[in-house]
This record gives sequence, structure tokens and C-alpha cells, in this order.
Amino acid sequence: MTALTGCSPMPELLDAPRPAGWESLRQAAERALEAQRFPTLKDEAWKYTDLKTLRETTFTPVPSASVDIREHILPEAKGTRLVFVNGRFDAHSSNVSALPAGVRLLNLASASEAAKELGALATPEASDVFANLNTARFLDGAYLFVPKGVRVESPVHVLFLGSAQQDKTTACALSRLLVVLEKGAEAHLVEEHAGHGAFLNNAVAEIHVHEGASLGHERIQRQPVESFHIGSLHARIERNARYASRTVTLGAGISRQSPSVVLADEGAELNLDGLALLNGSQIADTHSFIDHTKPNGVSRQLHKTIADDRSRAIFNGKIFVRPGAQATDAQQQSRNLLLSEQAQVDTKPELEIFADDVKCAHGATVGQLDPEELFYLQSRGLNLTDAQNLLTYGFAADLIDRIPVPSLKRQLQQAVLDRTHSAGAGAKA
Amino acid sequence: MLSIRNLTAAINGNDVLKGIDLEIKAGEVHAIMGPNGSGKSTLGKVIAGHPAYQVTGGEVIFEGKNLLELAPDERARAGVFLGFQLPIEVPGVSNASFLRLAYNKKAEAEGRDELDPLEFDDFIQEKIKGVKMNASFLDRSLNEGFSGGEKKRNEILQLSVLEPKLAILDELDSGLDIDALRILGEAVNRQLRPDRALLMITHFPRLLETVQPDKIHVLAGGRLIREGGKELALELEERGYDWLLQDTGRA
Repeated sequence: MTALTGCSPMPELLDAPRPAGWESLRQAAERALEAQRFPTLKDEAWKYTDLKTLRETTFTPVPSASVDIREHILPEAKGTRLVFVNGRFDAHSSNVSALPAGVRLLNLASASEAAKELGALATPEASDVFANLNTARFLDGAYLFVPKGVRVESPVHVLFLGSAQQDKTTACALSRLLVVLEKGAEAHLVEEHAGHGAFLNNAVAEIHVHEGASLGHERIQRQPVESFHIGSLHARIERNARYASRTVTLGAGISRQSPSVVLADEGAELNLDGLALLNGSQIADTHSFIDHTKPNGVSRQLHKTIADDRSRAIFNGKIFVRPGAQATDAQQQSRNLLLSEQAQVDTKPELEIFADDVKCAHGATVGQLDPEELFYLQSRGLNLTDAQNLLTYGFAADLIDRIPVPSLKRQLQQAVLDRTHSAGAGAKA
Repeated sequence: MLSIRNLTAAINGNDVLKGIDLEIKAGEVHAIMGPNGSGKSTLGKVIAGHPAYQVTGGEVIFEGKNLLELAPDERARAGVFLGFQLPIEVPGVSNASFLRLAYNKKAEAEGRDELDPLEFDDFIQEKIKGVKMNASFLDRSLNEGFSGGEKKRNEILQLSVLEPKLAILDELDSGLDIDALRILGEAVNRQLRPDRALLMITHFPRLLETVQPDKIHVLAGGRLIREGGKELALELEERGYDWLLQDTGRA
């Protein structure tokens, strides 16, 4: 594979000592990469998202950078925060002073015990070219481990910041996240991607939720519009465990989310929600895969997009129900709001069912604001623009309101408010 | 206050209102009754400016203004309120913030001070007592997941917040049990003033026992075919609409 060649840390950093076990994983990923090529529009999984800009960008290895994290601080996670800049651990900005006994929240390079779990879900064989590039070259990442029966009260905040190079070339950040919740453990994680200037953030997350454990996972992508985000999520939910993930996409010129979740044992429960709020010429592509393998699994997926200007949203959601997965209850909804004539949405919900006793439903809507709703608000004295803005806000806020971290919820509500109230919705009426 | 003259309206090319004349003075309570499909709800929506209906003739004058030239929100700010038969659900927009926004739009239009969230909270806490609504409904999304009765309660709450000059209530009674009907009827009565007017649209006479009309009009086939006092409601309760329809059929 020749593209993305500069997408790598400085050679001397890559050569630095790493925990035992990393080297064989890196080599496996490098071997997988040799057989993979950079995706084009001819690849089914990429046919709506043209990566030409990315392919033609010259990336340069990133030196360390210091950034100001003040605008990203969540007061609720004051002592449960890890910060990474361009894929490197920023110990100065991190604070893990408020962890319950036994809980581990640290950088992967310092967590030798995590080595055996790395790449266990994002295996080189099953990963695409971007995830393999990450596995082959990542320098460091975040590790959260919650032992059996422990509940982490404070939300855990993992902040991945990208920072442009001084010389105006494009930086490449490889972000890595590994989360393990042991039996009956509980935690709420906020994974945030932001930064300044032009960079590529190639992110891989591996999430393992063991029996009876429960993980809430907010994934917030608000990178600058001149940046790229390519993220994959590999999650495994064990018996009677619960995983609720909500991805909010506000930023990046081109972004891709590829969550892949296995309901690995009986009674596993999944919520996999997404919201993308796009304007300008942003492209946001979500390709999700939900794999029901055992009986009595429940999955709920609600994916919403709001596309304004010339932006483009892609949703491809596959739900797979394996032969043994009886009494599976899977529901998927793709709801899309188009605010301009030039905005575009491609949505494709896909169900593949190989069990006979299941309850599965999916649906997709693409449309403009409902005239009946607009009339109702107007009949209460709101002018058409205000009514349009309020309905657009509500469409997005409906998902954001469910975020249980108040400061993050307020930040995102404000971001949505700023976006929907400057949107062309009113002007185009 | 409101003068409707020879109003005709259509939806999707079908004539629904075929020449309505109606005069409502300040301080009066009117009721429009009639069988299903007679055009009752259409009349309310046309007065409020629903964009799906085309006004094909006639005029609607409200306090000297030609309502038909105004957008729905301008009509609302001029003092017209339509209580919906089926209020719309709006996820993601909290009931309280919507009520405050609507209140402040009206206050702004009338040159009064807008209320900040704290001031509005005091104001709305008083108002919800009037419709016996649980305060938890303020934090929920506008009408989302509300029962039919709760939605109607919310409509009357909006009415009491906005205090319109002319309130048009479309089928307030549908979806309400007897107790709720009485509570909301009394809340509507408290809104009555010499400088305000009320137009009730209803199938059933029961609501008119609580909110007593000065005049009842019977609408059928897009025309007002009979006018009377509140005793007309009793007659309709006993005899239904058929005898009236036959009367006009022969006429």
C-alpha cells in the first residue's frame, strides 16, 4: 500500500521500547497491510465516499505538540481524564486522581498487562486498511480497565486531540482506545476527538464488556472541518451485558465511522445510536455491523443525520442474525433531514436473518421538515425561520438530551443550537 | 372582532368551505357544531392560516386586519389562537422552553418585556395549576408521548400563557374524560373577558354545559345551515343532525 506513507510517527518514536506482545501484533498488521490497498469508489464499502483528497495528501510524521485543553474539560471527569495529542500521551493534561480502587485508567504504553487484549477484537485479519495502519504504527493510546463488580461513578473522559504541523503539511494521528469491563462492572466513557488545523485522525477502539457489565460510551467527533476522521470500533458484549454507544459527528471534512459490535452471548443488549450534523461540503459516512450470535439478544440502533448546504451523509447499517440467535430483538431506524436542495443522503439498512424466531424491524426516512409541525409552531407565534430552526434543533437534541453527563450535554446542545440557527434552513424558505 | 364574509376554501382541489358568514363580537362565546366531515376543523385551520388550504373567495377580518394576508405566525401574534384537535409532537424541544419562546415572541410583538428562564418559571408554575398539570410535563419534549388528554391539557396551558384575543378550540373534548373536560372547561372560562372572544368547534354538546356559548352555529356540507342559542345544543343532543340536514336538503 503506497498511500498514507507518511502516516506514521517519527521513526525514532516507533523504535522506542514497547510492552512485550506489541511487536508480534504490529508485524501481523504490517503483513495484512501488504495485501491491502487504499480504498476507491469501486470498493462496495466506500462507493459513496471519495477518498481522493486523502489519498493525495502528503502526510508527515508528527512531533510532539502542546495544546490547550481548557475548552474541553468536563468538570464531572476532573480526576478521570486522559489526554492524547497526535496519538501521544499528554501526561501534563491528564488527571487520574479520582479512580476507585482497582480501576486502571492509563496510557497503553505504560500498561503492560493490556498487551494481550490489544488486537484481540480488531484483529489484523478482520480489520480494514485504516485499522491495520493504526495497529501497525500506533505509538500509544488509552486503556480503561474496570475490575469485577466495580462501578465507576464519574464519567471517564478520553480526549484525542489532533494538531496541525507548523510547516502546513498534514499531520497524521493514530488514536487507540482499549476498554475492558470485567463481570458486573459499570462505567460511562466519553471518547472525544477534536483539535486544530489539518490532520488525519485514524482511530481504533476495542471494547470488551464482560458478563453482566454495563458500559455507556459517548463518542464525540468535533474535529475542525479541514481535518479527516477515520474511526473503527470493535466491541464484544458478553452474557447479559449491556453496551450503549452514541456517536455524535459534528466535525471533519470527511469522516467515516465503522462500528462493529458482536452480541457474543445470551441476553446481550446493545444501543448503537448516531447523529451527524453536517454543513458546507462535509461528508460523513457510517458503516455499522451488528452481529447477533446467541439467543435473546436485543439491539436498538437509531441513526440520525441533518445535512445542509452541499453536505453528504451515508449510512449503511447491517444487522446479522446467526442461526443460533433465536428470540433476537433487533430494531434499526435511519432518519435523515435534508435542509438544502444540494444536500444528499444515501441510506441502506440491511438485515440478514438466519434464525426463524426473531423480532426484527428496520426503516429509513429521508425528508424535509414536516409542514404540520411547522404550522403548529407558527400558530403559536414563531415565524417560519424560528420554527424551522427549532424543529431542526429538536431533531438533533432528541439524541443529545439522553447524554447523562450534564456539561457535555450542554456543550453539545449549544453546538447544535449554533449550527441549526445559522443553518440555511430559514434563508431557503 | 371577527367578521367572516362569504368565505370559500379548498384542499387539493376539493371545495370544503362553500360560503361562510360569521360575525363574532368581543366578549362572545360561539360554538360551531356539525357532523363529521362538515368542514368544522377546516374553518379553524383556515382562520389560523394552515398552508394546505387554499382560500378561494371571501374575507376574514380580525380587528380591522385582513387575516388572509397574514402568515400563520403573524395571525398568532395579532391575537388568534387555534387549539388543535390533534396537537403535534415535537421531540427534542422541551415544553417549558417552547412555551417561553412563544410567550416571548408575543411579548416582543406587543412591546412588553420578555421573561428570562427564572421569571418564566414563576409565571408558568402559576399557569399549570390552572389546568392541574403535573410540573414534570414542563421538562418533557413538547407533547411527545403525552396521552390524548395530556395533549389537550397542554393546549389549554398554551392558551392561558398566550392569552389570545380570539381562541378557536377544535374538538377540545375529544380524548378527555369527564373530570378533565370539566377542569379544562373551567380553565377556558377563566380566560373569558369582555375584550376577548371564543369559538368552540365540537361534535358533542357536553363541553357546552361547562363553557356556555352565546350562539351555536351548525355547519354541514361546508355551509352554516342553522344558528341558535344554547338551547340548540340540547335539541341536537336529542335529535342528532339528520333532521337539520333533511330540512336544508329540501330547502
